[in-house]
Formats: sequence, C-alpha cells, structure tokens
Amino acid sequence: MSDGLIIDQLKKNQILDLLKEGKRVDGRQFDEPRKLTIDIGVIPKAEGSARARLGDTEVVAGVKVQPERPFPDTGDKGMLICTAEILPIAHPSAETGPPQPPVVELARVTDRGIRESGMLDMKQLVLEKDKSVIGVFCDNAVTDHDGNLFDACSYASTAAINACKIPKYEMQDEKPVKIEGEFTEPPITTLPVSVTMAKIGGFIVVDPTIEEWGIMDARITITSNSDGNVVALQKGGSDGFTQEELIKCAELSVKVGSKIREIIKQSK
Amino acid sequence: MSGERKRHVIPGEVITSGSYRAEQNTIQVGDNIVSTIVGLSDVHDGSVRVIPLTGGYLPKDDDLVIGKISSHSSLSWTADINSCYVGMLPASDVFGRDYSSSSDDMTAKLAKGDLIAARIVNADMTRDPLITISGRELGKIDSGELVKISPNKVPRLIGKRGSMIQMIESSTNSQVTIGQNGLLVVSSEDPNGLLKAIQAIELIEEQAHVANLTDQVNEMLESKSE
Amino acid sequence: MGGRDTDIVLLDENGIRCDGRKVNETRKVTIKAGVLKNANGSAYIEFGDNKILVGVYGPRDVHPKHMSDTDTGILRCRYHMAPFSVGERKNPAPSRREVEISKVIKEALEPAVMLKEFPRTAVDVYMEVLQADGGTRCAALTGASVALADAGIPMRDLVAGCAAGKAADAVILDVNNEEDQAGQADLPIGYMPNLKKITLLQLDGVLTPEEYKQCIEIGIDGCNQVYEIQKKALQDKFFGSGEKQ
Repeated sequence: MSDGLIIDQLKKNQILDLLKEGKRVDGRQFDEPRKLTIDIGVIPKAEGSARARLGDTEVVAGVKVQPERPFPDTGDKGMLICTAEILPIAHPSAETGPPQPPVVELARVTDRGIRESGMLDMKQLVLEKDKSVIGVFCDNAVTDHDGNLFDACSYASTAAINACKIPKYEMQDEKPVKIEGEFTEPPITTLPVSVTMAKIGGFIVVDPTIEEWGIMDARITITSNSDGNVVALQKGGSDGFTQEELIKCAELSVKVGSKIREIIKQSK
Repeated sequence: MSGERKRHVIPGEVITSGSYRAEQNTIQVGDNIVSTIVGLSDVHDGSVRVIPLTGGYLPKDDDLVIGKISSHSSLSWTADINSCYVGMLPASDVFGRDYSSSSDDMTAKLAKGDLIAARIVNADMTRDPLITISGRELGKIDSGELVKISPNKVPRLIGKRGSMIQMIESSTNSQVTIGQNGLLVVSSEDPNGLLKAIQAIELIEEQAHVANLTDQVNEMLESKSE
Repeated sequence: MGGRDTDIVLLDENGIRCDGRKVNETRKVTIKAGVLKNANGSAYIEFGDNKILVGVYGPRDVHPKHMSDTDTGILRCRYHMAPFSVGERKNPAPSRREVEISKVIKEALEPAVMLKEFPRTAVDVYMEVLQADGGTRCAALTGASVALADAGIPMRDLVAGCAAGKAADAVILDVNNEEDQAGQADLPIGYMPNLKKITLLQLDGVLTPEEYKQCIEIGIDGCNQVYEIQKKALQDKFFGSGEKQ
C-alpha cells in the first residue's frame, strides 16, 4: 500500500509555493495549530484517561495509579512514568515489534515534558517513606497518525493526568491496602503543554501535518508550563536553527501553548 | 440494464438461489449465490455479480494509472500505484534500448516523489506488474494536484460514456487525469475551478451509492462559491 | 487477590446476573465501521465494557519477503492490550496470552477470508484492546470481521463472536469479567452465521456433556445476535443516508 511518508513532488511544490505567499495548504496561519478536541474519561476503568484529536492525529492516553516500591534514592517521592507507542492501526508505516528510534524519542520527549515541568507534586504521593509510594503511569497509544505526534501525546497526557483520581491507600502490616471507593485529587502544580514547530524552506510553522512533516528540514518541540516558562526542549531533523529563530520559537510556543492549556482546562 | 433490482449486500449474504452463474465477487454455496463483498448485487441474464463499494486496486493489462516513484535500482524504477503490488518501470522504457546504467542518470529523469501517468503492460500477478510511460497522455506529471479516491468509484466518476467527468471538467474549466487505480491529477488555470472540481470529486467519493448522484453533482457545480 | 469471589452474587434467586442480565442475554454491543483515517478498513466495537479498535491494512507487500506465499495472500493478526486496559497496568510487551489469542483469532478468520486473488501479499488485522472486561477475544474477532469487510477483503461470510459459560451452576451467555473470574466455565465461540460453521472454540472450566451441548447452543444463538449488529454497522457505513462519518 502507499507509503504516506514519500510526499509527491506536486504536493511538495505546492506547500513551498504557498509558504512563500504566507499560506499553508490547509489554510492555516503559520502560528495556528490544528483544531484540538479533548474528551476525558474515555477509558472509565482507568484512573484517568483522555482522547486528544489534533486535526486527524489521534491519541488515547490512559492513567493507571498503583502503589509501588520506590527507587532507593528517591524514597520520599512518588513515581511518574509516561510512555508512548504508535499502534500499527495508526499508519501503514507503523511497525509491530520492538520500538524503533523515532518511537523511543516520542515516548521520551512526552515523558520529559510532563516530568520536568513538575506537573505533579511527587512529595505528596508517598505512602510510607522508602517503603511504598504511589506510582502514576500515563501510557499514550497513537491510534491515527497525521503528523505531530509529540504535541498530541503531550495534550493527551496532560489532560489525562489532570483529570485522574488518586485512589486512597492505607498501610496495613507494612503493605498498602486500597480503600474502595475513596479518591483524592491529583497534586497538580502546573499544566505543561508542548508546541512543535517545523522549519520548511526557511519558514517556521506550528503543528505540522504529516505532509509538512515529510518535507521539513528541521523541527523543534518546546514545552512550557502554566507560568509561561520553558521546561523542556527537543530539536530534531537534519538542519539547524539560528539563535533568532530559537527565540522566536520559544515565544511562539508560550503564546500558542497558553491557548492549548485553556482547552485542556476546559476538558476536565 | 435489465434484470432484478440492485440490492445492498455484505459478505455472506445470499443474493439469490437457483440456476445462476456466480460471477465477480460472488460464490456458489449449495443452491445459493452469496456475496463476498460489500456492494450492490446485479442479477442479469442468468448471471450474478456484485459491484463493490470498497476494496483496493488490482492491476489489469492496459489500465491507465497514476504512480508515485518510490525508489529505483540500476535497471528500473518502482512506482507506488496504490495497489498491493508496485509498478516496475524499466529504465529502457525511458532511455531506449541502448540504456547504459553507467552513463545515464536515472534520478535526473525521475526522482523519488515524482508522479507519472503510466499504462499497465503486463499484470500476471506472478511478479510485480510492468508499466510504461511511453505513449500518448503518458509520462511525468508536472502540474496539478493529486487526489485519491476509492478505486471502485472510478466508473462512477467517469459516468456513462464520460458524462460525469465531462460535466465536471467543462463547468470548472479543469482537466482531470483519471487513473483506474483511484489516483487522479486535477489541474486548472483557475484556482477556484480547481477547488470546485476537487469538491465535486469528493462528493462522488462520498455519495457513490446514491441514485441521483448526477443531479447532486450538478447542483454543487452550479452553486456559487463563496 | 483472594476472597473477592465470595462477595459477588453471580446469580440471584430470580435468575438475574451480577450486571442485571438474564442467563440468555448478551451485553450491549455497538459497532461502528470505518473509524480510522489511514487504515484500509476499521471498526470500533463496544461489547459491554470492552472497548476495542480494529484496523486492517492490505492486501500489501509482505515484509520479511520469505513469509510471502506465491500462491495466495496471507492473513496476519495481532491482538494487543493497551497498558491501561486492565485493572493492574499491563506491561506493554506482548504476553504469551496475547500471542495465543492472536493465533486463534487468525484461525477463526481464515475460513472466511479469500486471499487467492492476491498472491505474495499480506492482510494485516490489528486489534487494540483499549478497555477489557471479559470476552475480549470474541469482541475483537467480531470487530475484526467488520473491519475486513470494510476494507473490501473478499469473504465467504462474516465471523461473529460470543462466549457461553457456566456460573453459579447455570449455563449463561456472554461471560463478563466477574463471571469469568468467579464462575465455573468460559467457552468462547466464533461462528460464521450463514455457513453455520464454528471457527473459534476454546474452553476453560468443567462442563457436563449436557451443559457442553447447551453452551454451544446458546453460544451460537449469541453469535447470531451479534451478527445482526455487525450487519447493521456495515449497512450504516455504506448504505446510510450518506452523511460523512
């Protein structure tokens, strides 16, 4: 079947010609992300869940919360792990089997954005110091791939964690026991939001589609928090950015990110 | 077209029973003729077939197809022809018989991502189908926009003796190269005409199963674009 | 775990099950065909609280090449559970259970699909369990045959799935998670309703010969009910009023 990642020459020319006129193939502004819709609670049995649809890219994030034995050096903190996988239903090029480097990068960038922002106050997720802590696992499953999976996973994760419920546990005989039916709100400190920009023919566009992704020279993903600070970065692709471009990208990320953050807040 | 009324059928559904010939997309199970695909049943002159509403493209000899160059070796290009098989375009088809892999630069003629209008030369399924780009209306495509539709809706897009596609081309001032594989290239000097032609094609793709399709398309074409 | 089977009443004195169903009733099943943009065919199925997405790709090139068959297309199936689909987070790597289920589902679909026309190719069926609640293999199989039909893969018949079983000494239809955990037997069935052939059959638990007979009988009945919903999903997509999605 057709490999969506080889962009046909006519489409490539069309994208480049339009960019020179200040336009994009789908009619968006350079700094305009695609329409984002977030539905929370799509997996009722998980402690938190969200489906994020960014244009035609779709991700389902599910949060599981369960007691864990802490790492030896961080016995006074809970545990937070985010993963991401591209399900083979998402695109003809998606593969089963061990994750390839682009998927590993996606998972790590998603995890870094959430973790480095300090989204959850991990000190509040301790049941008994050095013995038992609460683990929050946010797993992202990409179900449809139309480019820019980084942001779709970022939004799905932030929305799912923001909306999750933490079950109550009591220590009995040094073991955590779940108290059925009792939950607390997650200790949210900030809402991290990533914005990915592609550099195509010298132009910088926000939230590239799979076609723009296929012909871009370089990309940068910048995650900002609720205070408008930059909390995580990832540059990718086979070209570089100038200092001016990077400053512009960070401003764009904070500006676009604040609108996205509102959509995530509304979804709860 | 005479015969029984066309019916919507799905795989496994009995279309009719008795002494009929089971033709395309049907099988005989005992006395029954059963559909193997989602489509419209067509009982005609003692034979039964199903016109499919979904499914991929299988190459047939002499079909015109649109292909996208995906790679090349020293002897041939391969083209994605929207099928489970890739099209093989021999280098000699472009360079002629005295093609030399050392002196002729293949990517200068056709590079990855280039679109071609090609004809299927040999599709015997034992190997990947051979295609050619030498001939009238064939070759590299330099302008226009690629549109993808379901291959089994191509006959609907063409219409009876080309009536549907002619109606679209003349009222939007555009040209449409139709590949039997569901890939089309639409081009026009007028950007609005191009947009309208693509919208009309998308309408046919969505509404191929309805009876008054021509009227719907006509109505769409005559409405003023905003 | 342990001890939790004592506090659930699987069947009350009026013959009502723990989720309010009668013994011969299936859970609510809804199916939507054509839900994914990139896949050649797709379906989303909710079977009670099971939520499963199925995508079909192909016929397409086979990688690695040595797996291909010069006489026919081949069918490949993958049943996979999302880490968040079950009570305790599941390790994302495929388990032996998932590998086995993938195989039995493949063999349940093979009698239906006709791939002779597509030599040297593969049809890939990917079943993604987003939420599991007992009976996922039947639900995945049911969704898979709708997705295959949506992709236009020629088939002799659809395959519908539904389990029968035994809980609180009664033969029941469509075993849910609680009944699977605390019940006595689970017998999943895959069935071609027009050709009247069973293509998937497993059993966990103990049944008398009479119960075995009854289970198969009501299981087939359940499959026939599920088939009507499969039919409707395809009719809605292809012959509906024509609105998109």
